[in-house]
Amino acid sequence: MSKIQVNGIEQEAETPIVLIDLIRLNKVEQPEMVSVQVNGEFVIREDFSTKQIVEGDEVDFLYFIGGGSRC
Amino acid sequence: MLKANGFSTKVIHAPFAKDDVNRALHQPIYSNSAFDFESAEQMELAFQGRLPVHAYSRISNPTVENLELKIKLITGALNVTALSSGMAAISNVILLLASSGTNIIASKHLFGNTFVFFESTIREFGIETRFCDLTNNDDVQANIDSKTVAIFVETITNPQLEVVDLDDLSKLAHKNNVPLIADSTLTPPNVFDAKKFGVDIEVISSTKAFSGGATSIGGIIVDYGTFDWSKSPKLAPLAKRFGPFAFNYKLRREIFRNLGACLSPFAAYLQSLGLETLELRFEKAANNCRQMAIFLESLPQVKSVNYPGTIGSKFYEISERQFGNFPGAMLTFDFATRDECFAFINKLELIKRATNVYDNKSLIIHPASTIYCDFDKEKRESLHVSDLTIRLSLGIEDIEDLKNDILQALKE
Repeated sequence: MSKIQVNGIEQEAETPIVLIDLIRLNKVEQPEMVSVQVNGEFVIREDFSTKQIVEGDEVDFLYFIGGGSRC
Repeated sequence: MLKANGFSTKVIHAPFAKDDVNRALHQPIYSNSAFDFESAEQMELAFQGRLPVHAYSRISNPTVENLELKIKLITGALNVTALSSGMAAISNVILLLASSGTNIIASKHLFGNTFVFFESTIREFGIETRFCDLTNNDDVQANIDSKTVAIFVETITNPQLEVVDLDDLSKLAHKNNVPLIADSTLTPPNVFDAKKFGVDIEVISSTKAFSGGATSIGGIIVDYGTFDWSKSPKLAPLAKRFGPFAFNYKLRREIFRNLGACLSPFAAYLQSLGLETLELRFEKAANNCRQMAIFLESLPQVKSVNYPGTIGSKFYEISERQFGNFPGAMLTFDFATRDECFAFINKLELIKRATNVYDNKSLIIHPASTIYCDFDKEKRESLHVSDLTIRLSLGIEDIEDLKNDILQALKE
C-alpha cells in the first residue's frame, strides 16, 4: 500500500491505480458529473479509464456547483 | 435508457441530476433559499466544490439545475448557467472577460439595451467597445489589437435583421486568439448549432423562445469549452489549473455568484416546460413568419419587407446555411410615413402592441419610438433604426387570422 492525497486527505491505496477505479473506490457521488484534477492538472473524461494514479499523487474530485456546469 | 437523438426527445426525457424521491415526471420547484448538511465536514466539502450538492439558491438550485442540464443536453455544451435575464447573461460574460483598458469588438447593430450596455455602461468602467461592420472581415481585423478580449455578435441583429457569416467571423476571432460570443436569442438551438459555427460562448434570452410563451424572464450562458482560455488575459492563470473549465470556474465561483443575477426556481420551472415544446412552437412561428413576409410583400401599402428567409434578402444564403429553413420568426416592414406606421399599429385587433419577441402571440412594435426612444434621430439613423419601420414578431396563431388582422388594419 502507498499513500496518495484525495481531496486534501491522505489515503492509502494500491498504486498504480487507474483513475476510474479510484473514483469507484472512493464512492464518488454522481461520477458522471465529477471533474478531476491530478497534481493540479485537469484530466479529461476520456482519460479517466487510462490515467494512472501513483504514490504521492494529489487527486481532487470537483463539482462546478450548479447544474450543467459540471463536466 | 435508450439514447435520445432528436431535439425534442432529448429535452423531454432529460434525466434529473438526482432521482426524485416521489418519481415526479417534472422536476419539482425547490422554492427554498438554503439546504441542510449532515455535518460540518460535509458542509466544508460542499463549499469547496467537492460534493455535488446545493448550498444556497443564489449559487445553485435543483430546479434551475434541471433547466441547465436540459440545455446542456440539447446544445452539447460543456457548461450551462441560467440567469435572471438575457441582459444578465451578457453582462456576466463581458464583466468576466473584460477589464479596464481592454476592448470588445461588436457591431452597432444590436438590441437597444445591449448597445447602451456596450456604449455607455461598461465604458464608464474603462472598457471600450469598438463598433465595426462584422460582415466585413477587413474592418473587424483592423479593430482588433492586443487588448481585444472578445468579439460579440447577434446571430440575427435586432431590429436590422443583419446576418453575419459566423464561420468566417469565428475563424477570424480564433486567428487573433479572441473568443466569439454570440447572442442567439432569435435562432434557438433547435435551428442553430452554435458550436458548429465556431461560437465559443452563447448568450440567450430565455424569456423569448424558451419560456413557452413569454411566461417569465431569464437568460442563459452556454459555454462550449472550445476556446483556449490561456489566451485570455484574465483567465490565463485559471486556464493552467482548469483548462477548458476556466471560464466556468470564474463564472460560477466569482462573477455569477457575486453579481447575484440568479434565475428564480419558478421561472426555471416554466422555462423547462417551455423547452419541451420549443421545437413545435418555433417551427410554427417561423413558418408563419415566412408566409407573412410573402404576404406583406404583396401589399401595395407596404414599401419594403425585411426578413432573412426571403429569397430576395441579401442574407438569404447565409441564413439558410446557418439556420436551415427557420431563420427566425421576426420580420420588419416599412410604410411611407411614421404616421402610417402608428395608424396601422393602432388598428390591429389580434396582433398585440407589445415589446418582446417569440411570445405565442404575435407582437408588434415601432422600434424607433420605443426601444430607441432615448436616442435622437441622427443616432437612430446611424444604427439603421428607421422611423418608418415596424417590427413584427410572429406567434403561433393561425396565419390566415393574422393576415386578416393586417388587412382590416389597412382599410381606410
